[in-house]
Amino acid sequence: MKKFLEITLGILTAIGGFVDIGDIVANAESGARFHMSLAWVVIVGVVGIIVYAEMSGRVAALSGRAVFDLVRERLGPRVALTNLLASYFINFLTLTAEIAGVSLALQLASSVNYLLWIPLVAFLVWFVIWRVKFETMERIFGILGLVLIVFVVVVWRLGDWHTLSATALHPSIPKGEGIPTYFFFAIALFGAAMTPYEVFFFSSGAVEEHWTRTDLMVNRANVYIGFALGGILSLALMASADLVLSPGGISVSHLSQVTLPAALTIGKLGVAVTIVGFFAATFGAALETALSAGYTVSQFFGWQWGTFVKRVEAPRFHAVVILSVIMAAMVGLTTIDPIKVTEYSIVLSAAALPLTYFPILVIANDPDYVGEKTNSKFLNVIAFSYLVLLVIVALATIPLMIATKGGS
Amino acid sequence: MTRAGNRIDAGLGLLDRQILDKDGKDSGNVDDLELFAREEGGAPYVMYILAGPGALARRLRGRAGAWLESAFERLHHSEDPHPARIPFGVVKDIKHSVELSISKRGLDVTTIEDWVRDHFISKIPGAYHDPGGTK
Repeated sequence: MKKFLEITLGILTAIGGFVDIGDIVANAESGARFHMSLAWVVIVGVVGIIVYAEMSGRVAALSGRAVFDLVRERLGPRVALTNLLASYFINFLTLTAEIAGVSLALQLASSVNYLLWIPLVAFLVWFVIWRVKFETMERIFGILGLVLIVFVVVVWRLGDWHTLSATALHPSIPKGEGIPTYFFFAIALFGAAMTPYEVFFFSSGAVEEHWTRTDLMVNRANVYIGFALGGILSLALMASADLVLSPGGISVSHLSQVTLPAALTIGKLGVAVTIVGFFAATFGAALETALSAGYTVSQFFGWQWGTFVKRVEAPRFHAVVILSVIMAAMVGLTTIDPIKVTEYSIVLSAAALPLTYFPILVIANDPDYVGEKTNSKFLNVIAFSYLVLLVIVALATIPLMIATKGGS
Repeated sequence: MTRAGNRIDAGLGLLDRQILDKDGKDSGNVDDLELFAREEGGAPYVMYILAGPGALARRLRGRAGAWLESAFERLHHSEDPHPARIPFGVVKDIKHSVELSISKRGLDVTTIEDWVRDHFISKIPGAYHDPGGTK
């Protein structure tokens, strides 16, 4: 059990990245519209985030420096500021969406309109960050989010592996869907897997937990198990939508529709568990993005940050977190559609990805930071290929978003 | 960082690195350096590390720099706002971070931090709660 608790940081990071409010719906929607033809993208994304999260965790364990420190140090103040503004904007949009998303999950459970839940949810997000110890927070929401495994159970029960593998192994674009739309969804899924706040949160979390040289195995376990699990949950959501929603001609645009496969195969209990999972995953993502807002800004300026010191010792970090949560709640209250917001923010984040991942790759090869634990040649080849892929995706993102009107 | 013996490339090995005080607390970044040459055309020495938005603004240039500089001047109390200057003599070691031999309390890098703490964060209940396990 103690060993298991050591990997909750990776699990929470991955759940917040792969199955936050926008991804829950995007995964189900891609399953309903494209069957399993986009499954390969999730696999490519999982490998990419594993490669880069491992490097960021290793640098954090050996030097005590988190990702945005590296961004500033390698890219200089001007380019780093551009990245900071872009990353903060994405973080903020996602935080807004998650606060609304937690409220939507509460609406499903209580039938009380989600807008009434927003102020309470925002307060709770801040309160957990202000009061709860980092390890405790990560364990509660990491483990609670695991109940989303219910979707794996759903797919298992339906057991139609033939249908799933047909499109997973031979991807094709169904009639009535355009090629640009297919690639728009591909970028959305890839962006969700490699969304930058995962490495901000993961590396800063490693510092919060005082990882050292002796934790390099813990780092690997977190990365391999956590992100693989995120990928499996993402694929299970897609598969359950392919098997249940696609034959019924149901297109997914709302959170309640994603609970349908669980309702049909497991019944009321399935729905209840699903809603708990949605709550935990979106709340976890809200914590992840609110903290990342504080981490990135503080690390850019060199301010004291983190919840491992007394609140008064990191005043500017907490001020950024508080103001971000308040502003996000206010934007959420404008009845902006949280699902659309994350879909856009994921795709926008794809455009900012190279600026975050390039410095990680450089520093993971710098003996000043990691001593003799620099990247192997093999790892560098893979990481560099991903960097090229990220640049291509970044260049393709904006034109595709305009051409497909956001995948509609 | 290029390091031959004790030589450090100031652009790569100093600028934009994290500053840590004697207790390992984050004390700003190396936002700029103040150089001094003993004789005309002689080799320059690093006299001070400059830290804080005042110094950062000058390196950002452009609109973002101008905005940051005016924000800093408004937030700063003194008549003549200037970036915090850390004498190079208190630098203990330079690895991935610049480590100082004194506490950040003795430097003027904490002006804005103190202001945010005194006027905002310290007023929230639980602000002095010790999370346990100091770095």
